[in-house]
Amino acid sequence: MASYTIHVNGADHTIDALPDMPLLWVLRDFLDLTGTKYGCGIGACGACTVIMDGEATRSCQVQIKDVASAKVTTIEGLDVNGNHPVQQSWVTHDVPQCGYCQCGQIMSAVALLSKNPKPSDKEIDEAYAAQICRCGTYVRIREAVKHAGGHMGEK
Amino acid sequence: MIAEREVTRRNFLKIVGSVGAGFALGSFTAISGCSPKKAVASSGSRDFAPNGYLKIEPDGTITVTIFKSDMGQGVRTSMAMLVAEELDADWDAIKVVQAPASAAASVQGLGVGGSSSTQTTLTQMRQIGAAAKTMLVAAAAQGWGVDPSSCTTSNGIVMHEASGRSAPYKDLLSAANTMPVPNLTTVRLKDPKTFKIVGKPRNRIDNPLVVTGKAKYGIDVKIDGMKYAVIARPPTMGGSLKSFDAAEAKKIEGVTDVVKVASGVAVVATNTWAAIKGRNALKITWDPGPNPNLDTASILTQLKSMLTTQKPAVPAGGKSVEATLDLPYLAHATMEPMNAVADFRDGRCDIWVGTQNPGGAQQDVATLLGIAPKDVTVNVMLVGGGFGRRGTVDYAVEAADVSRAAKAPIKLLWTREDDMRNDFYRPMSHHSFFGAVDKDGNPAVWLQQAVLTEGNGMMKTEPNAQTIYALPAAQCLIHGGIKPPVRTGAWRSVINGNMVPANECFFDVLAHLGGKDPLELRLKLVGDPRLKTVLKMAADKVGWDKPLPPGSGRGIACFNGYLAAIAHVVELTVKGDEIHVDRVVAVIDVGMAVNPRGIEAQIQGCISDGLATALRAEITVDKGEIVQSSWDNYLWMTPEAMPKVEVYIIQTGDKVAGMGETGYPSVPPAVANAVFAATGKRVRKFPIKVSELV
Repeated sequence: MASYTIHVNGADHTIDALPDMPLLWVLRDFLDLTGTKYGCGIGACGACTVIMDGEATRSCQVQIKDVASAKVTTIEGLDVNGNHPVQQSWVTHDVPQCGYCQCGQIMSAVALLSKNPKPSDKEIDEAYAAQICRCGTYVRIREAVKHAGGHMGEK
Repeated sequence: MIAEREVTRRNFLKIVGSVGAGFALGSFTAISGCSPKKAVASSGSRDFAPNGYLKIEPDGTITVTIFKSDMGQGVRTSMAMLVAEELDADWDAIKVVQAPASAAASVQGLGVGGSSSTQTTLTQMRQIGAAAKTMLVAAAAQGWGVDPSSCTTSNGIVMHEASGRSAPYKDLLSAANTMPVPNLTTVRLKDPKTFKIVGKPRNRIDNPLVVTGKAKYGIDVKIDGMKYAVIARPPTMGGSLKSFDAAEAKKIEGVTDVVKVASGVAVVATNTWAAIKGRNALKITWDPGPNPNLDTASILTQLKSMLTTQKPAVPAGGKSVEATLDLPYLAHATMEPMNAVADFRDGRCDIWVGTQNPGGAQQDVATLLGIAPKDVTVNVMLVGGGFGRRGTVDYAVEAADVSRAAKAPIKLLWTREDDMRNDFYRPMSHHSFFGAVDKDGNPAVWLQQAVLTEGNGMMKTEPNAQTIYALPAAQCLIHGGIKPPVRTGAWRSVINGNMVPANECFFDVLAHLGGKDPLELRLKLVGDPRLKTVLKMAADKVGWDKPLPPGSGRGIACFNGYLAAIAHVVELTVKGDEIHVDRVVAVIDVGMAVNPRGIEAQIQGCISDGLATALRAEITVDKGEIVQSSWDNYLWMTPEAMPKVEVYIIQTGDKVAGMGETGYPSVPPAVANAVFAATGKRVRKFPIKVSELV
């Protein structure tokens, strides 16, 4: 075990962990930030997506020893009351079915729209490459991303 | 007063208890912590909780207890809508809580499956809302000294128009508690034509929790002293543990225990990662068991061996055609892999689990531990996808097994690989057809044979395979008895997911053999008038007669079941080895819609499933092991591959159709038929590969 201090949702957290422990399990098991979901552990589904220094990042693919000074934002750090434009768009467009993957889907949208508030379909496809929703909410995810893009910065 | 109220409540429970099997309201009253005595003692006169399903608090919050698991089908929303409708409640005041299957509960009715959640509970939930409203109105009327029948209700308020008086429900609670409880079977229900909430699109009630990460699934549970566990299971089907050496595993920091359990070797740790690393470090010798050479090809050979070679006579001047279709095993692959938290101590066990079958979990955990079901509490968590998988409760039993062996509260996680390789798979099947048309091109012979693998007895195939078409001399032979050691179970739409693609593909073959348009021939021969309507409307919406560019094609298929009728039209383009689906139109007659928004979501989701299984996903077997392990080799739909999707909902009648399963079966055949329209070649195998077309 080694001691690491990581920066999550605006606060520093010091954790004793195995150096190769994926950020995913640090968030879930140690920091109780369970909105970040385990889906596959191999970076193939996107359920564990968080934002690291502005980039959508699959937290199962980042080891704690490599997090260093990166600023990590999880769904819990977005808006606790769900008032972020992307969260609101997700509610308005009634995206979730089982809901399990949706925090990851939302974080991908936030990362995309922060840089590009009016993404084309192709740009949305690229941002969502290999991000799976087993319930098949893709149609509504796309609608919600487009709608939210028009409202970024209104928060 | 208290005594009176108690009698009232008892009467209520008695009345409710007489409604019929599966409606154990008395028990639910008990499990929600509101047994008659307790409710009176604890809530005093402040809350109005006429039964365990419904509670109104002095601040106006109306809590509906949901006794069906929500795995994405939206039943927490639709059930609350039904209560709110008859109660004439303000929708924004509605909250839902989940009923556990606990010590005191009869868990009948908690299970979910077969698209039955909404339809079976429709009347019950309406009656509960109506009974509560009757009591609130009676309370207001008594206070005003007027006849209850002269009062009206709307948006959580009782009104007496003649005198201009009104009272919100929250001000009537203590008085309502003293009112007689109506007989649920005769309580007056609304005319559906006057519905204000039911039938109007509503967003899912859990959305705010989901989008903030606050929604708690089974995998999110953490209890005091809890440890994390994963289990090493035999890689081959039918394999077993010979021996293991845990020395290296125990060296991993965080690993606290390695224990033998019924299904393998469990590694217990202070966090998930240590448990996974510990498992990787185990040295295990497995006995591969009796199936080390089992593979998909040998299973297919077994299936084909069941076919008969009979061929009915072809009418003079007619022509005949033969075709086969192979469907693979499919994994459920829910986004949330199987997991459960179990705490077994002092002769009791508490379970936290996302399940479609809390009663089964309670029973099976009790059996394993040798305790009474009443000593097992099942806390039903949100379900991160079910699709039939979570009707089987093996993972909850495993968690209890590990908790017993490790003497600690345990969160058992199945990694994605565990989940995909230890599923109860949608059965693999082989379908064989012989058909003929007469000299005018009309279908004259239809002989279908279907052989489905059986794994755990669930797939005892019912002979429901007759076609939906009026076909002369149609014969349907279902052959059973092939039981490879691959576990099978219910998968979205169950047997329909095998039979409908096969039938709808061959109908297309027969139509083309006779030179008929597949839509026109369906309209001519289909028996169900609702199917006729949805077929026509789907064709209209898509523009059935509009030509498509070369390389593109349009296919149609339909299905009726679960009280619904649905048609799908798929437009796609084949370029080289690639099949790109451009557009899918679905038209569904749902009977009476409770939540059109939820229905649309289910049909959209079923289209994703249908495309994934038509074009990408399969589970295969090699050397006795499941080959696929994760999303990188069990390929599902991805955003960029989703076509334009249009869902049209029509309503006929007052029956509420099931939605979880209905939208799936006709998607894969519509794809296959579109592939034929685009290429002139037939699909013989799902998932479809251009190189395998004939």
